[in-house]
Amino acid sequence: MSIRRHLGLPALWALLMLLGAVPAAEAHIASNGFLSLAVDRAAVAGALELAIRDGELAVGLDRDRDGKVSWGELRASQAALQDYVRGHLKLYGSQGECPLSFGPVQVNARVDGNYLWLPLTAECGGALKRLSIDYRVLNEEDPSHRGLLTLRAYGEVQTAVLDAASGKRPFELDHPSPWSAFIEYLHAGIWHIWSGIDHLLFLLSLLLPAVLVRRNDRWEAVPMAAPAFRNIVKVVTAFTLAHSMTLSLAAFEIIRLPARLTESVIAASIIVAALNNIFPRVTEGRWRIAFAFGLLHGFGFASVLSDMGLPQGARLVSLVAFNLGVEVGQLAVVLAVMPIAYLLRATALYRRALMPWGSSAIAALALVWLVQRASA
Amino acid sequence: MSGRSRRPYSPRGRRCALIALALLGSAGLAGVQASPYAPSSDSVVLAELPAGTRYSDLAARRLARERLDVAVPLAQFYIQQSRVSGDLRYLGYADAVLAPWLNQRPAAPEALVLHATVQQSRHEFTDALATLDRALAARPDDAQALLTRATVLRVLGRYPEASSACLQFAPRVDPQIAQLCIQSLRGLNGQLESAYAALRQVSPQGWLNAEKSWLYSELGEMALRLGLETDAQRWFLQDLKLAPTDLYVRAAYADLLLRQGRAEDTLAVLNGYESFEPLLLRIAIAQRQLRDPRLAPSSARLRAAFSAEAQRGEAVHRREQARFLLEVEQQPQRALQVALENWTLQREPDDALLLLAAAQAAGHPAAAAPVLEFMRSTGLRDARANLAYSAAVAAR
Repeated sequence: MSIRRHLGLPALWALLMLLGAVPAAEAHIASNGFLSLAVDRAAVAGALELAIRDGELAVGLDRDRDGKVSWGELRASQAALQDYVRGHLKLYGSQGECPLSFGPVQVNARVDGNYLWLPLTAECGGALKRLSIDYRVLNEEDPSHRGLLTLRAYGEVQTAVLDAASGKRPFELDHPSPWSAFIEYLHAGIWHIWSGIDHLLFLLSLLLPAVLVRRNDRWEAVPMAAPAFRNIVKVVTAFTLAHSMTLSLAAFEIIRLPARLTESVIAASIIVAALNNIFPRVTEGRWRIAFAFGLLHGFGFASVLSDMGLPQGARLVSLVAFNLGVEVGQLAVVLAVMPIAYLLRATALYRRALMPWGSSAIAALALVWLVQRASA
Repeated sequence: MSGRSRRPYSPRGRRCALIALALLGSAGLAGVQASPYAPSSDSVVLAELPAGTRYSDLAARRLARERLDVAVPLAQFYIQQSRVSGDLRYLGYADAVLAPWLNQRPAAPEALVLHATVQQSRHEFTDALATLDRALAARPDDAQALLTRATVLRVLGRYPEASSACLQFAPRVDPQIAQLCIQSLRGLNGQLESAYAALRQVSPQGWLNAEKSWLYSELGEMALRLGLETDAQRWFLQDLKLAPTDLYVRAAYADLLLRQGRAEDTLAVLNGYESFEPLLLRIAIAQRQLRDPRLAPSSARLRAAFSAEAQRGEAVHRREQARFLLEVEQQPQRALQVALENWTLQREPDDALLLLAAAQAAGHPAAAAPVLEFMRSTGLRDARANLAYSAAVAAR
């Protein structure tokens, strides 16, 4: 291991050594840039991360030449950085080069020191089936620099090591496997029902009285679990059947309704369901309300799907997965809430406070949504 | 569609969340930490620029494109910087300076020799030999090219070829330096005692510091292989006094301390050298022995370095990675796998010891058969190998 260090040092080399042999504080992995991109049809969004040192070599960040790069200096160099990246990183879709635009630069601390983090987006004209990347960042200054790419498209993640020598590298995007599409749309379904609080409020408004029975114009606790269970199953099944039907119709573009209308009617459906708890009109067979308005909630789900797009070759799988995700999310909430409702059903809290005031609060919230959505 | 924007749910937001999740998922791979932020004040210092890495230095690089007498010392400077700091980026800067001189026809022989040195530093030994052959075809007597060739062949365990490169190079240098080259190979080639005795007779008066340092580290390593730890310690300390910035000697000395169970002394000797992965590895081994809580950040940095390297398809730190798996992560099966891979790339005594130890720890002493065969055919001896060596022999 020793002779490898030995070279007869010429005088100039020894002299240059004096210029700076200070051990630095950071790890010394080779120069890597991190390029993370996510494709959403025609749009690409992501970020390029470069070590501050590499940014210095590219455009000269150290404006006051004190051997240090400050946040102020990095911010002042943004325009130069953007120009540099435009000249050294090119993305191509089927319609040629996709113009890049940039967000404000930030800083990311990695194990080997600070990196500048430059958010970027690219518009590629048409939906992307193949994205070509030409990465020449730092090629003149450090040919050993590599771009470590994480490319996410239609639920698939690809990674690659980019450098100038390999030129324009094509990445095929249009082959999502049915399984990965299934997982992605299942997630989307669950997420949607959990974050789309309006669907849950509608369902809960219909389920709150499921553990009660209406007698002599008063709410009374159901004596046994069986009728409560039957009520819950009927409402959930009716809601599921209805929204699955319209979701499928809308997803395959057989029926299309304007989003403003469906969103407004969804808000109205919550008001109706909540008011029905305070001034009961429908006491037996709330499943009919669930079914009727469930049809409209299905169109609401469909607007999410149309935003994501159904992947070619896995349309049916994705639709089923999304629907299944919605059911899973919905069932999880029902399973979490209803046993508690059943246990509390005989208390005054439940029948005199939660039923009227909880339902009023839900109705008030839904009214605000209705006004917003109808006037949008 | 505008109604949707007011909904608590936004598909774009979900997409961002998924991307964030995907990035977090790959965090282990790429060593991503935290998330991007904007510092609170313009005066926050983000990085200090090491020597030769400023934008203004590009003027010198531009000049190096026109003038070989600028390119050669500049490339030497970067290679030397990479040695004293362990910073691999400098090798890339050397590449940039040498590129125009390598691309011209015929390539400048000086540039070829330096290019081979860069390749050797990246552990691209076979490529380095090919580059040296091109340089030697143009200048068969180039001492620097011959010495580098001897070094690379030695790392590959091709001792007879390395010896003949030494003999070729002998008439062109101080006879004592030639002796050093020849005796150090005899020491690997089955004549350890007599080579050690011969080198102890050498008096390095009037030698350059770098040459003295070479002598002491050879003596130190021979003493180690002979099992003379006290002698080895003396040579290494003498060497370190002469060349305190020599990271390889420091690593060898740290290994000796670790062998002697002196983990705290190891940390003291390596304090301030965390930036160099091979030394950080020794720090992590010592921290593990001491149950030092600082082991976690050290390990995280090593893991990040190894995985970034793997992602790039490079193998500069295979030996360190195998040792990390064996002695820090305590994953002997994976360590054995990496040690076997490392053995196909380089065959220094340390690589042989590593494979023996990994094979024994993994419960497959027979996996060390290539090392036994190598030791038998070359005559390599090493007192440190005894235990694992006997286990491997017994397993045959």
